[in-house]
Amino acid sequence: MNKDLLNILLNSNKDIDNQQLMDYLAGKLSEEEKHAVEMQLAENDFMSDAVEGLEIVKNKRDINVFVDQLNRDLHKKLFRKSKRQRRKAIQQRWTFAAIILILALLLAAWLMIVKYQHLRHG
Amino acid sequence: MKEDRHQHITDKALLEKFYADKDNQWLGILMQRYTMLLLGVCMKYLKNEDDARDSVQQVFLKAIHELHKYRVDYFKSWIYMVAKNHCLMKLRDKQGKTPVLLDEQVIAVQDEPLSQQAHLDKDRMLDAMSAAIAELNEEQQQCVTLFYLEKKSYSQIADITGFSMMQVKSYIQNGKRNLKIAVERITKQQ
Repeated sequence: MNKDLLNILLNSNKDIDNQQLMDYLAGKLSEEEKHAVEMQLAENDFMSDAVEGLEIVKNKRDINVFVDQLNRDLHKKLFRKSKRQRRKAIQQRWTFAAIILILALLLAAWLMIVKYQHLRHG
Repeated sequence: MKEDRHQHITDKALLEKFYADKDNQWLGILMQRYTMLLLGVCMKYLKNEDDARDSVQQVFLKAIHELHKYRVDYFKSWIYMVAKNHCLMKLRDKQGKTPVLLDEQVIAVQDEPLSQQAHLDKDRMLDAMSAAIAELNEEQQQCVTLFYLEKKSYSQIADITGFSMMQVKSYIQNGKRNLKIAVERITKQQ
C-alpha cells in the first residue's frame, strides 16, 4: 500500500508494445492486464492521446493494415534516391561510357597505325 | 504483427547509430516503432482516417528531413511534438484558428518524476502524499485511490462510481497532476 502511494508520482519509461495495445483496444485483456496498460497511459501523454485516437477507428482490424501500409511507404521514402543522387548516378554512368569509348577509339587507332606500318614495311 | 528484431536497441542508441553513419535504415527501425502511436495521435486530433494516415506520412517526411539537419536527444517526446504540431496546423488551416504550437527546436526533456523526490526520505514523502490526496476533490480522490491503490481498471472504476470512462480517465489524470503540485508545495513547506 505504502509503495503504491509512492508509485503514483513515478514515471516509468516502459513502453507498451503494439500487440498489447491492440489487445487492449479489442478488449481482450484481463482486468489486471488492463490496469497495467492504463497505468502506462496515465503516465504517458503520447500513449494516452494515441489510444484515444485509435479508439475512434471504426474497424479496429484496419489499424494494423494502416500501420503496415505506412511502414511500407516510410521504407520507400527512406530509401528513395534524391533527384541530385539520381542525376549524379546518371552522370557517373555517362562518364564511364565516355571513358570506355575513348579507350576503344585509342585502341582502334593504335591497331590501325600498327597495321599501316606493317603494310608499309611489308 | 511483425516483431521488431532490433527491440533490444534503445531509441537513443538507434539515433546514435544514425548520427554516426547517416544510414537511413536506423531511422526506419526507430520510426516504425511509433507508427501506430502516431496514427492514434493524428486520429485523436483530426477524427478522420484518411487525414490521419496522410498526416502520419507527412510527419515521417518532416522527421526524416529534420533529423538530417539537427540532433534530437529524446526521439519519442520529439516525434510526439512534431505530430501534435502538424495536426494543430492542419486544424488551423481548416478552421482558421491560430493554435499554440510547441517548440520542436527545444529538444524535448523527459518528464521529471518529481524534482525533490530524490532528496526526501520515504516517510516524509508518504506523509506528503497522504496529505496531498486528502486535498483532492471527492471525484479525483475516489478515482485516484481506486486506480493506484486498489489497482482497478478504468472500466471497473466506471462501474463502481457510475462515472463514464472518459470522466474516470480525466479524474485520474487531473488528480495525478494536482497531487504532484500539492506534494511539491507540502515538501517545500516542510
